[in-house]
Amino acid sequence: MASVPFDGTSSGTGGELAPFKIVIGGGFGAGKTTFVHAISEVRPLHTEEALSTASIGFDDLTDLGAKRTTTVALDYGRITLTERVVLFLFGLPGQERFSFMWDEFSYGALGAVVLADVRRLDDCFASVNYFEKLQVPFVVALNCFDGAPKYDPEEVSAALDLDPSVPTVLCDARDPSSVRDVLIALVENISGGSGGTESR
Amino acid sequence: MMAVLGDPGRWQRRNYGPVVRPYAVTRGRTEPEVGVVLDLIDVVVATGEGAHDDDPARGTPEHRTILALCESQLTVADLASRTGLPVGVVRVLLADLIEQGAVTVVRQRPAGHRPGNDVLQEILNGLRAL
Ligand SMILES: Nc1nc2c(ncn2[C@@H]2O[C@H](COP(=O)(O)OP(=O)(O)OP(=O)(O)O)[C@@H](O)[C@H]2O)c(=O)[nH]1
Ligand SMILES: [Mg+2]
Repeated sequence: MASVPFDGTSSGTGGELAPFKIVIGGGFGAGKTTFVHAISEVRPLHTEEALSTASIGFDDLTDLGAKRTTTVALDYGRITLTERVVLFLFGLPGQERFSFMWDEFSYGALGAVVLADVRRLDDCFASVNYFEKLQVPFVVALNCFDGAPKYDPEEVSAALDLDPSVPTVLCDARDPSSVRDVLIALVENISGGSGGTESR
Repeated sequence: MMAVLGDPGRWQRRNYGPVVRPYAVTRGRTEPEVGVVLDLIDVVVATGEGAHDDDPARGTPEHRTILALCESQLTVADLASRTGLPVGVVRVLLADLIEQGAVTVVRQRPAGHRPGNDVLQEILNGLRAL
């Protein structure tokens, strides 16, 4: 870790870090935190948000002066794939009152995963609408909660009125290999299926 | 730096209350003074140049902590998670260091930019090997 400055000429092959952002959306309790935990080393990431919108429930704002912010902890995971390629997972805060933060986390994202609980499918409408509007490629992952009815992904896709190009897959957010398969489905879809030839 | 954020007595005179404490290390600034706002996965690295370590312009212990971490390439999110500082605070401190020439932005990813097929294949191979 000597202080060797980055050599800008080695772009693409050598030392340059190639980070990619994948955002995890879905309704309250859909399994976002579990999903990020399953596949990556998770460290909390703190951000701070204006109290005017985010502070419902705070006791006393009178003495705060001009800087009215509160700190929000977010799901954040880092997956090192190769020496240079690193995936960053960011769980979008599900509560409506934090949805104004989604833009910051979704900016320039490679893709998104919408976690859906089939018992409360309407909870994921907001995320689906959001990624459609933003034209961020996404997959819908049906989280298999114990005791939840089993739905055919195609039925759910129809119920969500998804474009046929949007994959709908089953997942168990507690299972690392299941989470990995969701991410593979996402990246395969982004690469137009061409990367999926050696599927397992 | 946890001492700064965690010391209950230190900032109370300012009468801001605990919810604004993180911005004390930026002297109340919530936005970088110059330049672009860095994205969470923009990569930064120390240049090895800029002010000397004992120069007051080097700023707070938080500036120095971030500068030390920047010895190797890191994203803004990495820096926030390693220091425990809020993302907005890290952005302001980084902007100071960039202005001093001590840190430089290695990569800024344009929004909505789809990577090339070779990169996507690299990601897929990496995921399959997990
Ligand atoms: N059976 C089963 N339980 C799950 C699964 N995923 C998550 N859970 C459980 O569901 C609960 C909610 O999961 P979280 O990961 O906290 O959900 P979240 O989306 O982060 O919730 P919020 O951040 O509160 O919106 C937890 O008790 C998990 O253990 C799954 O795939 N199967
Ligand atoms: Mg959660």
